[in-house]
Amino acid sequence: MTDPGSLEEKLAILAEGAKYDISCASSGSSRRNRHGIGNAASCGICHSWTADGRCVSLLKILLTNACIYDCAYCINRRSNDTRRVILTPAEVAELTIGFYRRNFIEGLFLSTGVVRNPDYTMELLIEAIRTLRETYRFNGYIHVKVVPGADLLLVERAGRYADRVSVNMELPTREGLALLAPDKSREAIVTPMRRVGALIVQTKAERKVSRTVPPFAPAGQSTQLIVGASGENDLQIVRLSAGLYDRLAMKRVYYSAFVPVNRDNRLPAPVDTPPLLREHRLYQADWLLRYYGFAPDEILDDDRPFLDLTLDPKADWALRHLELFPVEVNRAPYEILLRVPGIGVRSAERIVRARRGGHLALDSLAKLGVVMKRARYFITARGQFAADLSPDAAGLRSRLAERPTRDRWNQPSLFDDHGRGDWRSTITGEL
Amino acid sequence: MDYLYDGTFSGFLTVVATARRAGTSPMAICRVAPDQQALFSPLVRVTTEPELAAQQGDELAAILSPAGRRLIHAAFLSAAPGVELRLWHYLELARRVGPAIGSMLTHEQVQPVWELARAVGREAHRFKGFVRFRQLAGGYHYAAIAPDYRILPLIAPHFAARFADQQWLIHDERRSEAVVYDPVPQQWLIVPLEVRAPLCDTADEQLFRSLWQCYFDRLAIAERHNPRLQQQHVPRKHRRHLPEFDKR
Ligand code: SF4
Repeated sequence: MTDPGSLEEKLAILAEGAKYDISCASSGSSRRNRHGIGNAASCGICHSWTADGRCVSLLKILLTNACIYDCAYCINRRSNDTRRVILTPAEVAELTIGFYRRNFIEGLFLSTGVVRNPDYTMELLIEAIRTLRETYRFNGYIHVKVVPGADLLLVERAGRYADRVSVNMELPTREGLALLAPDKSREAIVTPMRRVGALIVQTKAERKVSRTVPPFAPAGQSTQLIVGASGENDLQIVRLSAGLYDRLAMKRVYYSAFVPVNRDNRLPAPVDTPPLLREHRLYQADWLLRYYGFAPDEILDDDRPFLDLTLDPKADWALRHLELFPVEVNRAPYEILLRVPGIGVRSAERIVRARRGGHLALDSLAKLGVVMKRARYFITARGQFAADLSPDAAGLRSRLAERPTRDRWNQPSLFDDHGRGDWRSTITGEL
Repeated sequence: MDYLYDGTFSGFLTVVATARRAGTSPMAICRVAPDQQALFSPLVRVTTEPELAAQQGDELAAILSPAGRRLIHAAFLSAAPGVELRLWHYLELARRVGPAIGSMLTHEQVQPVWELARAVGREAHRFKGFVRFRQLAGGYHYAAIAPDYRILPLIAPHFAARFADQQWLIHDERRSEAVVYDPVPQQWLIVPLEVRAPLCDTADEQLFRSLWQCYFDRLAIAERHNPRLQQQHVPRKHRRHLPEFDKR
C-alpha cells in the first residue's frame, strides 16, 4: 500500500498533503532550553514566506498520506488514486532536528492520515515526538494532530510531549460532517477535544501548586474549520467558536476557505477563487470574540446570519450602535476604546498609557497607532471632532467600506495569540 | 561642543558622562569627524572609558525602567544619523521628569527615539527567523546576514538560548563583525570578522538544503498565489542569504 521512496520524494508528497492545514501558529508556549537544543519563543517567529504569502514557521508535514477514511474534501482520502508514502518516526525526528539546527523552522507540526486504525496511527505520532523530546532533547515547539477516535490515554500521552494539540473539527455542523466525512463522527472529534480541554485546565491548576507536574499542551489546543464546503452560515460558525473558547479551553480556532481538490458531487461547484474574503471576515469576528469582549450575538443574529463582506464586523457593529458615539478618548474606559473602529488592542493600550502623561489631542492619536481614517467618525479628543461627517450621516457606511486589495484578503501570517508584544507582526483580523 | 567617539555603546555613555561633567549640552555627537570640522564649536575626542561608561549606565538604570533601557539601547543600535544627540536629549528629559517619560509617547523628544527603537526591534525580531545556519566541516554552524541595523547584540541572546549546545556564529557582512557562541562556557562575543576563503560544508549540508528547498516549494497553494505579499514579508535584499530562494 505505501511506497518506500527516497526521503526527498516522501517529504515532497507529505508536505503537499499537509499544506491545506493552516493552523501553524508557533507561539503561546515558552519552553526553556538548558543543555539540549531549542526553545519555544512565546512570541511567534516566522522563518519564511511562501509564494502565496503565508508565513512558514513550522515543518508542517504528514506522517503518512495513506488513509482508511474517505472525506470528500480531502486530498488524501482513500478513494483518490495517488501515491502513498509513510515516514518512520525516526525520519520525522531526524528531519525536524536537521531543519531546526539550521534555523529553517521554529518547530514541528505533525499531522497524518489514518493508517490501520486511529490508535495505531496515534502510536506512531507519539513515537516521533517522544524521540524528539527524549532522544534529541529537543525543546522546540511541537504541535501534533490528534486522530479522531483515538484512545483517550493516547491523547493524553501526546499532550505530554507536545506544546499544542489539535483535533480538527473541519465541518462546523453535524450535518456537514455526516455528509462530507462519513467515517468520522461528531463524538470522535468532540470527545478528545473535551478531554484535552479538561487536562489543560487541570494541569495548569496542578502546576500552580507544584512545578514538578509535567506540563500538558502548554500552548493549548486549537482546531480548524473549513468554510464554504457545506451550507452553514456565519452565525453558526461564530457561535460555535465562542462555545469552543468558553467551554473547551480552546486557544485558537482557524478558518480555512474551502479549496476544492477533489471532484465530488457532494461538494459545492468549483468557483474561481476560494471564499477568502469570508474567511478574512471570520478571522475579524473571531478577533472581536477573543480580544475585544464581544459576544457572538452582538456580531450577528438570526436576522443577519452572514457577515457583511464589504465592511469589517467592528465597523458594522459601531454603525448599528451610533448612540454610543462619539467617545472622548481622554475619558473613555479601555473596554469602550476597544470598540472604536480604527483603535486596536495596542493603540487602546497606548492611549490609556499616554493620557496619564497629559491630555491627548487629535493630532497625537495617529502616532499612537490609531487609524484615524476610520476612527475619526467615532471619537473626540479634548472635545474636538475630526471628521466632516457625524457618525449618523448616511454616507458613512460607504466611506468605511473596504475596497478589497489582494494582499489584505489573502492569508496573512497566522501568528498566535499574545497580542501584547511590542514588535509583534500583524495578526489576521486585528481591526 | 561637538563630540567624537568610537561608535560603541560604552563610548556613547562615556560621551554622556563627559558632557554632563562639562555642564553643557553637546551640539553634535559623531562617530566620524564632520567634514567642516569645528566651524562653530570645538571638537572633543572622547576615548571610551569602560568604568566611566558603567557608572553612567548605573546612573541611567536608576532613572529608566528596564523597558526604557532597552529602548535606549535599541535606538542607539539604529546608528541613524543624529541618534546620539536625540538620545542625549531624551536622557536629559528623563532626568527631569523621571519614570513619567514612559508614558510621554507623543512628546517631540520621545517619539523619534521610540520610533527608531521600534524599527530596530522589528528588524531584530524578523532576523530571529531569517538567520540560516550551515554546518561547516570544522564543527561550526555559520550564518551570514546583512541587516539594516546593527542587530547582533539584540539577537545573540535568542540564539544562545536556542542553540545552547552547538558552536555557531552569525556574520553581519555589512559591518564585518560576527557574534560567536561557544557552548562550553555558554557565552557569546561580538568580534570583527571577514571571510576571505570559501567555506567548507559538512557532507550532510547539501542534503538538508535540498530537502528544505523541496519542502518550501511544495508549500504554496496555487489558488492563493500572491508574490506581492511574499515580497512584502521577505524583501529581495535578504533573499540571497535564504536557501529557499536560491535560484535552482
Ligand atoms: S481522515 Fe483526515 S486524512 Fe483521512 S480522509 Fe479524512 S481528512 Fe483526509
